[in-house]
Amino acid sequence: MKVMHLFRFLKLLLFSSLEVVLGNKTLKKMVSANVSGDLSSEMEVDAFRRLFPLRYHERFLLDSIRPDARPLGRARDTSLALGAVASADGSALAKIGCTTMLAAVKMEVMTPPKESPDEGSIAIEFYMPPICSPLVRPGRPAEEAPVVSKQLSDTILSSGMINLKELSLVSGKAAWMAYLDIYCLDADGSLFDAALLAAVAAFSHLQIPVVSLNEDGRVVVVSEENEEGKSEKEPVNKGKRKLTLSSLPFSLTCILHKNYILADPTAEEESIMETLVTVVLDSSGQLVSLYKPGGPVLAYASAVQDCIALTRQRVKELKSILNEAISDMEVD
Amino acid sequence: MEFVSPEGLRLDGRRPMEMRQIRGEIGAVAKADGSAFFEMGNTKVIAAVYGPREVENRSQQISDQALVRCEYTMANFSTGDRVRKPKGDRRSTEISLVIRQTMEACILTHLMPRSQIDIFVQVLQADGGTRSACINAATLALADAGIPMRDLVTSCSAGYLNSTPLLDLNYVEDSAGGPDVTVGILPKLDKVTLLQMDAKLPMDIFENVMQLAIEGCKAIANYIRELLLENTKQLEYRRGP
Repeated sequence: MKVMHLFRFLKLLLFSSLEVVLGNKTLKKMVSANVSGDLSSEMEVDAFRRLFPLRYHERFLLDSIRPDARPLGRARDTSLALGAVASADGSALAKIGCTTMLAAVKMEVMTPPKESPDEGSIAIEFYMPPICSPLVRPGRPAEEAPVVSKQLSDTILSSGMINLKELSLVSGKAAWMAYLDIYCLDADGSLFDAALLAAVAAFSHLQIPVVSLNEDGRVVVVSEENEEGKSEKEPVNKGKRKLTLSSLPFSLTCILHKNYILADPTAEEESIMETLVTVVLDSSGQLVSLYKPGGPVLAYASAVQDCIALTRQRVKELKSILNEAISDMEVD
Repeated sequence: MEFVSPEGLRLDGRRPMEMRQIRGEIGAVAKADGSAFFEMGNTKVIAAVYGPREVENRSQQISDQALVRCEYTMANFSTGDRVRKPKGDRRSTEISLVIRQTMEACILTHLMPRSQIDIFVQVLQADGGTRSACINAATLALADAGIPMRDLVTSCSAGYLNSTPLLDLNYVEDSAGGPDVTVGILPKLDKVTLLQMDAKLPMDIFENVMQLAIEGCKAIANYIRELLLENTKQLEYRRGP
């Protein structure tokens, strides 16, 4: 079973990059009018792309298409693998195009605060290590990292996906603290979308470990080897449980440029067209959050409505991808 | 505690001279100039290389050589207990230094003066031998980035428990308190670039253990070479006629 997970994990890491390379090559042949196939015309296209990025992209937008051959409203290929990290209680690897996020949940027991003795707690952290992008250096952390971290934290806690009362063990004495760590392994645009998908998938995969009270009255994790024959240690929660998740949040980031709306931008598109709108809807179609942090393009309400409509379609896709990943896990 | 059973099997069912299953993939991070994913058993590591690029701190620029930087970080969830300080602690700084010096010895830095090569290694899952897995992943990533090197650098660890030399220790065997010898070699040139050991070991046994580790390194080198050949064939195929 572990070998299967390994293979899926590795396959996912490489899957998209191959397709992008092939897509780019065919597009270059399309763009250069003289399809001579020699290297000089390819280099001119690359140079044009570097020197005049906005004009390069606008040439494509006139035909309602983007450099990677996607129509304006379509998101990149998305894939999910649950259980990527064997040492964590719940984990997931999410890939949207080349953007890769690895999320893992680890549970620890803590004493709940006096104001909420029946509730556990969740701590969400988002990291962008230097491997993910050439712009992140050891002395210069990415500026998007704390922004996405806060957005994720707010969205997950306010969407009501997790009922904190489920994380309680012994009222007033012990409760679960779930540490969710999300690492960006490759940053190619739409970081928030991929991170949210990975977080939701990790919580769907989460299995709460079995604990029992030991002699000092402290809660201790029961390891699998001790399960048989230890009747003095009565488990506080019977068997490994999964959390009941209601209303999973899913999101889509769009870019507004003149009167075009581009769904799921790549890092290149995000850097030249700076107006981003992120819409988060939950699985029942209700609006959880809307985020438009300024930007040169001022949007009328109609543009925002269009973004919400695009997000609605995307939520359907993401829900089916998540369900497929969960059922894949269960088959194993 | 018994680490080698009387039948000669270790805790995870391996023979003493058997290495864990290794697997490498090139091109894990699309944005990096070169990247690789390497795993040895349950230890999983991603390495990304950015460079040669402009030195960000002009005062550190070397006029006749490339500057090589390396950073080793562990993910919070990589070990059994959640790691509180994934980088900046002493162990990570030491391993960063070791990896940098090991790779710097084999990169032809004089070909790229006034530039900088960054090697970033991220441990996703740690089960002993992270140092070795990082060096192997860094070699693959440097090769993927097309950075000129004298030779591949491969690394493997070996130990000595229950009077038996053991190859490629996992976390349980490593924390048993016996000696842990980590060796890094340049396989074609047959030179040792990294050699670290902790705990005491008699000289003759040390030679055996080191020889075992070197054999392990050579086996990894063969695997890496095949992987790179396969990757080059695929690149050639994709490039077209």
